[in-house]
Parts: sequence; structure tokens; C-alpha cells
Amino acid sequence: MTREEAARLLHAYVDGELDAAKSLELEAHLAGNPAARATCERLREMSAVIRDRADYHAAPASLATRLRASVPAAPEGAARRVAWPGWLKPAAAFAAVALLTWGVAILSLRPGEDERIAQETLASHVRATLGNRLIDVASSDQHTVKPWLSARLAFSPPVADVSAHGFELRGGRLDYVGGQSVAVLVYQRRQHVIDVFVWPASAQKAQQALSRNGFNIEGFARGGMSYWLVSDLNRNELGDFARLLAAAP
Amino acid sequence: MAPMTDSGGAHETLSERKRRFEQLVLPHLDAAFNLARWLTRNDHDAEDVVQEAMLRAFRFLDGLRGEAKPWLLAIVRNSCFTWLQVNRPAELSGFDDRSVDLHLVDESSPEALALRQCDRRMLNEALAALSAQFREALILRELEDLSYKDIARITDVPIGTVMSRLARGRRLLAESLRAISNASQVHK
Repeated sequence: MTREEAARLLHAYVDGELDAAKSLELEAHLAGNPAARATCERLREMSAVIRDRADYHAAPASLATRLRASVPAAPEGAARRVAWPGWLKPAAAFAAVALLTWGVAILSLRPGEDERIAQETLASHVRATLGNRLIDVASSDQHTVKPWLSARLAFSPPVADVSAHGFELRGGRLDYVGGQSVAVLVYQRRQHVIDVFVWPASAQKAQQALSRNGFNIEGFARGGMSYWLVSDLNRNELGDFARLLAAAP
Repeated sequence: MAPMTDSGGAHETLSERKRRFEQLVLPHLDAAFNLARWLTRNDHDAEDVVQEAMLRAFRFLDGLRGEAKPWLLAIVRNSCFTWLQVNRPAELSGFDDRSVDLHLVDESSPEALALRQCDRRMLNEALAALSAQFREALILRELEDLSYKDIARITDVPIGTVMSRLARGRRLLAESLRAISNASQVHK
């Protein structure tokens, strides 16, 4: 590989856009070329500096309001979630948990089931971001979020502190997925919100990645809990986050 | 209501369309505003351009195939460039993709040092000083995490051009950071 070709491909390499064959070729070139290696490091550094320090201009609330006025909301009921009568909620949650602990091994193997959960968690994530009801309990302290959720659910969701890796806990909320009440832990990385849906599961499940409507989704089960992550964060970082959660004590 | 229901035989009701718009398009409002704000470099103009672009997106919702985010950002980007052509034509003139210079930079260069020392204000200033085509490529790549393919679609150029714009944009950004850091040292 010539110096010129290496220089040309370096950006695509750093951006994770180079195919496997070209990556290997470039890595061989880098191994024997300290100057190119240094440039590669500098490009990574620049990418990190921009991501870290450039302003992200989120839309002002007034704009969202103005837009909703010009494109009025759909009539009530069209996109609303199922409204359970108040007295039924705990009963349904209990029944769902009972059913789940009894038959989750069979259920979780069904391919259609994963797709349905992906759709439901995604819908919840979008609803929450749109409606600004993202968080019921706002706290970056795992020891505040966990008891709040435990007091309102039939289980106690693990709440990991992974802020050292750049994933900040912002809080939690309750939601209803797959016919049961679930915990939603809300994390943030840069401007991206990550919803982590947690509920009890008896079987372990390997990590799987999906992509729907421009959002990335990761699902896995370990330690008696099923985890579904939904975010507009890129696939690699969401995958890393899922691995962090899976490895958390 | 008539102009909003011309969905070409799809028989989508207005409320169905609004629901689809709220589910697929509105979640990307922040990304739309971020791009428009970086291209117009002004809150007020960005709001106007985004509002107009969102209404166009609503009208052309039938044309949405695949992922909504790049589709919406292509509409926003178009609106921005049309706006720039009318209001600030000087910013778009004289841009040339052909003169791409790429050379390896020494690690101990002043650019490397300036990058490490730059603060938030310096970086924003340096990014804003790039021409629109380099700026949008960097914003879409680094702040929106979009793939080369999506950036190519949004900015309506081949993937090879995206690659060279990113390379050249980063190079110019490094130079511009060095210039800004030199200037601020003179003032100290």
C-alpha cells in the first residue's frame, strides 16, 4: 500500500467504514509506519474532541410546540397505550410475572416474541422522548433510582453505575411491555438518551442487536433479568454499553 | 384539508399520516435543528428553516423509504442550502471539491498541540469557520453518528466525495484551530 493510498483510507478506517480486507491491509501498513500510526491516533483524538466539545444544538421547546400547532396531534386513542383500569394494573402485573416465571424459557425462544418486544420497547422510547415523560424519578444516584423502582414493581431491577465509561444515569420510569410492568432505566451518552428496559427472566440469553426506524436495539438476558436497550446512539457504542451492563456486578 | 390528503391512492387518512409523522419523523427534530443551526449559524434562522422543512417532510411523507433520520435530514439540508443561496450566496461560492490535498501530518506538529489544548469556544469557532460543505460532513459524522452512506444521501454526493470532504474538513479544522490558538495567545 502506498503512502497516498494509506492517507486516503485512514479516515474511513478511523470512522469504521473500511471493509475487513482493506482494514487488514491498512493495519499492516500502520504496523511498519510510526508516522502513519501517529496520524491515525490524532484523527481519533480529533473525532473525540469534536464529539466531546462541539455544541449540540437541540431544538428549542418553542419549535416543537409551533410544529405541533401546524401539524396538529392525532386524535386521542390513535397512538395511546392500552389504558388499564386502576384496579386491574397490579393484578395484571402479578399475573404477567407469574406467567413469565413459569413459561419464559419457551416464550423467549420464539423469534416473533423478540420482534414484538423490540417494537414495544421502541414505541415506549419514542413516546417517552416525544411526550417529555422520559423520567418518573430523576437522579444520577443508583441508590435513589433502584429503591424507587423496587417499591413500585414486583421485582428489584439491578441499576448499574457505569458513569466511568461515559454513560450517565439520569433516572428511571415505569412502563408496560410484553404484558407486564417493567423498569426503564434512563441513561445518557453525549446528547443520546438510552432507555434500558428490565424485567425478570429465568433463562439466559445471548446478546443480539437489531435496528428499527433509525434506532438501535440490544437485547440480552442474564442473572435472572431480561434487558432491552433502545437508543439513537450508534450501534457500536450501544453494543459496548450492553456488554458493560451484562458484566456489571 | 384537501392538499394534505393527496397521498396518491394510498388512502391514508390525515390522522394516520399525523400519527406516522409523530412516530417516525418528529423524534429526529433535534438532529434536524442541530444540522440547520450549524449551517445557518443562527438560532432564529435555523428555527424558520426547520419549521419549513418539517412541513415539507409532512407533505412528502409518502416518499419516505427506509430510515427516517437520513430522509428527514436530506430535506432539512436542502432547505438550508436553498436558504443560504438566497440569503448568504457568498458562503456557497468558490467551493471546489477537486483540490483535495492529503498529506500525513507529523504528530509533533503545532496542529496536534492546538487540538489537545482547544476549549469548547475555540472548537465551535473553528467549526463555524469551515465552508458549509465541510462543516455539514463533520457535523453529520461526529455529532449525528451517521454512516458515509447516509451522509452521501443527505448531502447528495457520492460516498467518495463524503470521504474526501471529511478528510479535508478535518485537515482545515486542525489548521484553523492552530490559527485561533495562536491568536488567543497573542491576546494573553
